[in-house]
Amino acid sequence: MTMQTNLQPLLRLREIRRRFMLGETTIEALNSVSLDIHSGEFLAVWGPSGSGKSTMMNIIGLIDAPTSGEVWFDGQDTRSLKDDELTDFRGHKIGFVFQGFNLVPVLTALENVMLPLQIQGVSEHKARERAMAALIDVGLERFKASRPDKLSGGQRQRVAIARALAVEPKLVIADEPTANLDSENSRMVVDLMRDMNRARGVTFVFTTHDPRLLEHVDRKILLRDGSIESDEVAQ
Amino acid sequence: MNIFKLAVRGLMRNRRRSMMTLLAIALGFAAISLFAGYTHNVYDGLERQSIHGELLGHLTLSKRGMSKEGKLNPERYMLNAEEVARITGLLRNEAHVKLVAPRLSLSGLISNGRASTIFIAEGISPEAMQGLQAGVLTEEEERTGMYVDIIKKLDPLHSENALLSFGLADMLHLKKGGQASLLSNTLTGQANALDITVGGTFDTGNAGSNDKFSFMSLSLAQTLYDTNGAADRLTVLLDDVDQTGIMRERLQQKLRGAGFDMEIKTWQELSDFYNQVHNMFDMIFGFIFSIVLTVVVMSVANSMGMTVVERTREIGTLRAIGLKRSGVVKLFTAESLMLTLLGCLTGLLLTFGVRYGINVAHISYTPPNGASAIPLLVDMDFWRTMFTLVLMVVVGTLAAYLPARRAAKQAIIDALGHV
Repeated sequence: MTMQTNLQPLLRLREIRRRFMLGETTIEALNSVSLDIHSGEFLAVWGPSGSGKSTMMNIIGLIDAPTSGEVWFDGQDTRSLKDDELTDFRGHKIGFVFQGFNLVPVLTALENVMLPLQIQGVSEHKARERAMAALIDVGLERFKASRPDKLSGGQRQRVAIARALAVEPKLVIADEPTANLDSENSRMVVDLMRDMNRARGVTFVFTTHDPRLLEHVDRKILLRDGSIESDEVAQ
Repeated sequence: MNIFKLAVRGLMRNRRRSMMTLLAIALGFAAISLFAGYTHNVYDGLERQSIHGELLGHLTLSKRGMSKEGKLNPERYMLNAEEVARITGLLRNEAHVKLVAPRLSLSGLISNGRASTIFIAEGISPEAMQGLQAGVLTEEEERTGMYVDIIKKLDPLHSENALLSFGLADMLHLKKGGQASLLSNTLTGQANALDITVGGTFDTGNAGSNDKFSFMSLSLAQTLYDTNGAADRLTVLLDDVDQTGIMRERLQQKLRGAGFDMEIKTWQELSDFYNQVHNMFDMIFGFIFSIVLTVVVMSVANSMGMTVVERTREIGTLRAIGLKRSGVVKLFTAESLMLTLLGCLTGLLLTFGVRYGINVAHISYTPPNGASAIPLLVDMDFWRTMFTLVLMVVVGTLAAYLPARRAAKQAIIDALGHV
């Protein structure tokens, strides 16, 4: 099913609800959230702990399904996709940057960046070329043979950004990408994401606790108790 | 994705655990293949002992009903001189037939002049005896001369000579060159006696027969049985043991075509001892195999189960960036495949080493019901070793399937949130 609209957003959330069971208690993590995200946006989702930021990112990133509501991505109603189709869809269109970097410890920086490409079936030679280009973009070509344990936190997160960008996604999801970094590295990582957003036109959506990082974004969405409290576009 | 590269790196992640699992697989594999090699050697030895040592040859031909009714009505079931000659002539030109030997078995009393005891004797020509025993020793045994005295020899120039088993000679205080008398029934049921000279002694290899068995020339047996040129059966030696079954069918057809209703038995059907030992060792092998395989599977499943739990976050990450559920299963089963394959190959090297050590150590032991010590040797049982390798690798790989499938089914957000 494809949406017929002239101003088609990259991502459209409609009336998203997400409930979790915690023992016998039902937690309403997201409550009737509707949102459009357009291509090329650099968007931050912020709010206090437990406001539903990560849940929203998981749903936007198609790694979790809402209890009810619609998620349209690039004109595709994601509810109609089976697990393997959704996995393929995600692998080609969405890049992920995790709070804990989530690099594979036994692979080098270059191999980590190559990994999503090789999962897609890109040949080793091409994957190496594209991964190397992504590493150059994040300024880590010198560390291509280093394993994650030989890299600093900031460097690991840059490798993770390179891994996310290597597949040339339409959207990069970064859930608290600076939470484990000091302020200097945090700024560096956000600057890097911003540069990539401008240079490649890739849409970035990230969550943060740090109000200082919000100065860099085009748009910021404040979540509170599972609902959007404010949606501001920077002047 | 180069799944095997990732699998090898995965194995290197927790080296101690991988090493312990690999060692368990290697030891299990070595235990099975060494035991298979030992039983192979035993089977091979028993086969040689049955065909060449016990002079069973590969095929034994007798008139149909001889084995059941022959003792009650020997005249009816005995092959006369003409039949022996005709059948021998028919068989000699057959491919794979090396030797056709008429045989006559008889029993009676043997006396040293002071005491008597029962005997069981085989009449066979000295030349046939020599021909049947060719191949009883392995090249190694022939080279070292260790077991050269197990070859039994009848003197072709002295047909009055008979060979007595150790126990029988010992019981009657007879030595080589000693004199004894044999008393037996003739074909027609009359009593007949003959004097013999002890041409030598031999070991039957079986405590149950070592005090009563004897070999004598066919002509001496025929004289004692008072029959001219008759035999109760024909022993056929082939040039290839693998042809036994095929040749039985072929000879059966040929003899039927020539008007002979013959019963043909293979050496395996006649050697109860071989069958009993074979069945017993097969059962022990199956028992050991099952236990070792269970230990190996448990070991691999435990190791892979722990690995999967430890790498749950990584599985979540891989799923998020595009790895399908089937990819997760493939990744961990590939890891398990590598582990079991490496374990089996290590086990194979271990098998070669231990086998060499055992074979050069010249260890000997007396088997149950055996009359003398035999060497403990371990062969390389290629087919059973390959079977073990393939089965272990398949089962070891499958042992990772369940934990991998469980991990693949986990929700991505749960896997990513795993601590």
